[in-house]
Amino acid sequence: MNLKFQISNFKFFTYLFLFLLIFTGQAFAELTVDANHSHVKIDFFYHGSTMSVRGVSDPGVDLIIKLASPDGHEVLKQKGKVAGVLWMNVGTLKFENAPGVYFLHSTKKVEDILSSEEMERHSIGYPALAKHIQMSPVSNEEEKTKWFNEFVRFKENSRLYSTSTGKISLTEKDGKGNYYILTEWPYQVPPGTYTVTAYAVKDRKVVETAQTNITVEQVGVVKTLANMAKNNGVLYGIISIVAALGAGFGVGLIFRKGGGAH
Amino acid sequence: MYLYLPVALTSINILIPVGLGLVVGLLSGLFGVGGGFLMTPLLIMFGIPSTVAAATDSNQIVAASTSGTYAHWKVGNVDFKMGFHLLIGGFIGGLVGVQAIKILRAMGNADFVIKMTYVLMLGIVGIYMFIESLQSMKKSRKKNEVSLTESPVKESAVSRFLKSLPLQTHYEKSGVTHSAIIPIVFGGFVGILAAIMGVGGGFLMVPVMVYILRMPMHVVVGTSLFQILFNCIEVTFLQAYTNHNVDFILAVLLLLGSTIGAQVGAVFGRKLKGEQLKIILAVIVLVVTVKIIFELTLTPSLLLGQAGGH
Repeated sequence: MNLKFQISNFKFFTYLFLFLLIFTGQAFAELTVDANHSHVKIDFFYHGSTMSVRGVSDPGVDLIIKLASPDGHEVLKQKGKVAGVLWMNVGTLKFENAPGVYFLHSTKKVEDILSSEEMERHSIGYPALAKHIQMSPVSNEEEKTKWFNEFVRFKENSRLYSTSTGKISLTEKDGKGNYYILTEWPYQVPPGTYTVTAYAVKDRKVVETAQTNITVEQVGVVKTLANMAKNNGVLYGIISIVAALGAGFGVGLIFRKGGGAH
Repeated sequence: MYLYLPVALTSINILIPVGLGLVVGLLSGLFGVGGGFLMTPLLIMFGIPSTVAAATDSNQIVAASTSGTYAHWKVGNVDFKMGFHLLIGGFIGGLVGVQAIKILRAMGNADFVIKMTYVLMLGIVGIYMFIESLQSMKKSRKKNEVSLTESPVKESAVSRFLKSLPLQTHYEKSGVTHSAIIPIVFGGFVGILAAIMGVGGGFLMVPVMVYILRMPMHVVVGTSLFQILFNCIEVTFLQAYTNHNVDFILAVLLLLGSTIGAQVGAVFGRKLKGEQLKIILAVIVLVVTVKIIFELTLTPSLLLGQAGGH
């Protein structure tokens, strides 16, 4: 852990050094990133949230902000035509290295400000994800493209993937750039830890990155019930059944008293 | 007002499940069906994952069918003996059905077989019930008399065979005499199909009771709810225990509507004749059939969906 941290720190400073070497003489402000809700609490009345991300950047750079979950594994049902006319589930498709949640915001269209190598290196943009995510079973490139597009459509429909251009506001003050974006944090985003990464982009390259985390967690009754459903299925099932039986009888008795017997 | 559902992991306007519960509960009290064939797709439409929708619906049906059974029992419309015999068959049929699915899955193309079985069953039952109840409505109008029971049937070879079976039992509430083997076998048949299709099977059990067991429609509704209650207790427990898919909060919201709906349905149903109940149920079944046919033939908006379910 510690060694890894030191190595990544070392790497970071090497890049920083190289970066400074190349851009000596230019005004320079270290890129920072900060999210207003680093800890989203899902309680009984949770209906999504808003997330504002702000920070300081070097003026004159373009910015890309990515809010994403770690890469994961997903299995989805695949619909197809059977007997030429009938649409139904024809199998399952496995997705590897796929982030469950992926929100990307940029000052300009990502393809216009970044080279495709850089996009792929940092997993920025759907075309980069298309190369990064592995699917099976797919037999050729054409099929791969088709099902990747369907995957994005499915994710966007579930409000777990989205991209935007031009929503980041930039202001300049004392030779420093300030950026700010207010985005929606949909209630469909499941509990977990998410990474917010800000990328400063210049000359079709990422010149600087900064990171922070967002934790989404269930609290209170929601947490108690979710844990019980997962860890104590027997008790949870019995409580659910008894509550339903009780409610059914209770309402029956109320209606009897209400005088609707015959 | 919105509430967050801890197992479905989504937020929902509480008016939606309460309203859906009310409507489906009403149908339950009226016709003696669980209403899963309506509720599950509607819940999915409102963003509930399909697996959670099916499991939670069975929990909700426990409440609705308790309420409905109670309402029908008060006026003497539940045949407990018949209900138990159907349950024995249903239980065995469920076990066989689960194995049948495994075999279908191993053979591939299981979804095709399941969907086709579902559409055919719904279609046949809907058309048959529609035509039959239309005819008996005409007949009773001609005779100018109100009749809750079936019109008398001619003694056929089949019914002579059925009468020759052992374990002849008189079912007082229904006013029919059958070999106990008959409800067990047909309960089993419905159980197998219901397990394969992943539904409760009320829409099959009701016609079996009406046309094969020749029970009066009002006793059919009460007895069907009684046996649905036990099936759904079992399914809810298995879902909670093995799949962890029951959303308690969603179930509570649904049952707020469905328990009341079932009572209203039971009261309202007493004002309708058996034929009227049958023809309305037939129309609902046919509408669902048409909806499924559309779903099968129109290009879906998304070609990928959550895995799970059956």
